[in-house]
Amino acid sequence: MPDAGGIGAAIAAERIAKRYATASGAVEALSSISFGCAPGEFVSLLGPSGCGKSTLLMIIAGLEPATAGTASVRGEPVTAPRTDVGVVFQDPTLLPWRSTLDNVLLPIEMMRLDRARYRDRAVALLEEVGLGAFLAKRPHELSGGMRQRVAICRALVHDPDILLMDEPFSALDAITRDQMNALLLDLLTRHAKTVLFVTHSIREAVMLSDRVLVMGRRPGRIVATEAVPFPRPRAQELEDDPGFVALVRRLRRAIEGTQDA
Amino acid sequence: MPSAPVAAAIAPPADIPAAPAAWRGRLRAVAMPLGFFLLLLGFWEAYVRITGIPAVILPGPLTIGRTLGEIYPILLQHAVPTTLEAAGGFLISCVVGVAIAVLLCYSKLWREAVYPNLVLIQVIPKIALAPLFVLWFGLGSESRLAFSVFISIFPVIISTYAGLTHVDPNLLRLCRTFRAREWQVFLSVRLPSALPFMFSGMKVAVTLAIIGVVIGEFITSQRGLGYLIVNTSARADTPVALAAVAMLCAAGLLLYGIVAFLQSLVNERYGREPIR
Repeated sequence: MPDAGGIGAAIAAERIAKRYATASGAVEALSSISFGCAPGEFVSLLGPSGCGKSTLLMIIAGLEPATAGTASVRGEPVTAPRTDVGVVFQDPTLLPWRSTLDNVLLPIEMMRLDRARYRDRAVALLEEVGLGAFLAKRPHELSGGMRQRVAICRALVHDPDILLMDEPFSALDAITRDQMNALLLDLLTRHAKTVLFVTHSIREAVMLSDRVLVMGRRPGRIVATEAVPFPRPRAQELEDDPGFVALVRRLRRAIEGTQDA
Repeated sequence: MPSAPVAAAIAPPADIPAAPAAWRGRLRAVAMPLGFFLLLLGFWEAYVRITGIPAVILPGPLTIGRTLGEIYPILLQHAVPTTLEAAGGFLISCVVGVAIAVLLCYSKLWREAVYPNLVLIQVIPKIALAPLFVLWFGLGSESRLAFSVFISIFPVIISTYAGLTHVDPNLLRLCRTFRAREWQVFLSVRLPSALPFMFSGMKVAVTLAIIGVVIGEFITSQRGLGYLIVNTSARADTPVALAAVAMLCAAGLLLYGIVAFLQSLVNERYGREPIR
């Protein structure tokens, strides 16, 4: 049993279940999922498509209700989205008529915070991710990787403690994806966050995480947990490390074990 | 690990915005339809001259043009009330139509009870009701304005409602993560993404607003281009009637042009698909 989020956990899931009613009867999307994330920990939910990992993230984000069980953030049950949580979706979902900077400041406006006070922080974040020269550009003038970097800055601008990321790099090509992983690792060294990261890339999960939770499907459940022992800062070369290769192989077996259904 | 090398390693986007269309392309876009129009006028003039058809039945374009030049001040005098009333009817349609669309967007009751009726009214031939508007609103500007609004408001309502409701659901979900209030979502997301829809409805509405006023003038008025057309047709003063029609076309193009220009500004900024 993984440490099911004791007192002081940043994120805790307790026996979360999700059922959908469909025309052909009830479908059990998630079955009794429990885990916890310590403050500052980077945890990945890794699994094949259809295992409910994104649904689980949406429940923790307060965007979807659970059928049973409780999601908690910093000890409080989640009933609605929270302002101390930043969410990054698979699509960058930028407002096409807004500039890069104005997109990043959208949460500040919507949370009715002082825009002038956060402007410098937004600019600094964008500079950190290499978009300092693109503040006035509109999304259609940016590449896919740049748009997702804007979305990450937008999730961080109000300085939430927790970052929920739903396959944020899965729409990008492999090279850009590696660059984005390096960028995220780098960003998190200066902005300590608790991160829950949904992915179906084993290497991405190992490269980024302190702990990887492997999910299986029908019903969606946690089938294995692996700690990732490699020290930080981590670089691309880590992928050649025998320990990295062995861990990737172990996780692949764990996923394949769920596939026979 | 410093951030600069990581950031620098990521290449700028490959797609640089397209260069503005070449002037030759723009010239073609104007010259081709204009040339075709002049060709049609040429055929018309030739037909009138060859057949010797009397000007009372069908004057040629040159005759109409000459008439236009001679009675220009009178035409302009009649064009002003027609244009102003059409513009007024159009503006009322925009304001009231957008308000109704917002109500439809936010009220389930309105959506369930009112919307199907609005769609149904679209189907009835509204022009048939024009004489009754005179009965209800009198002989003054009110009846023409009311009828103009009556026939031009529906495209505004329908297109605005479509725009307000066809918002990218991912954007709405994003706003929920910020705990945004509904008025914020309306001002920052729904309204901007509805603007291109609204303007395509308004483009239809502006032409209908003119039709509404002209029909009103046919029935009641003592002035306006519609009045002039009916009056001169009855006296078989065909060149003047057609000169008035030409003037009406110019007024219509003016109003339509203003809306189309605003639409191009709006589309430039708000007309893009949401970024995936």
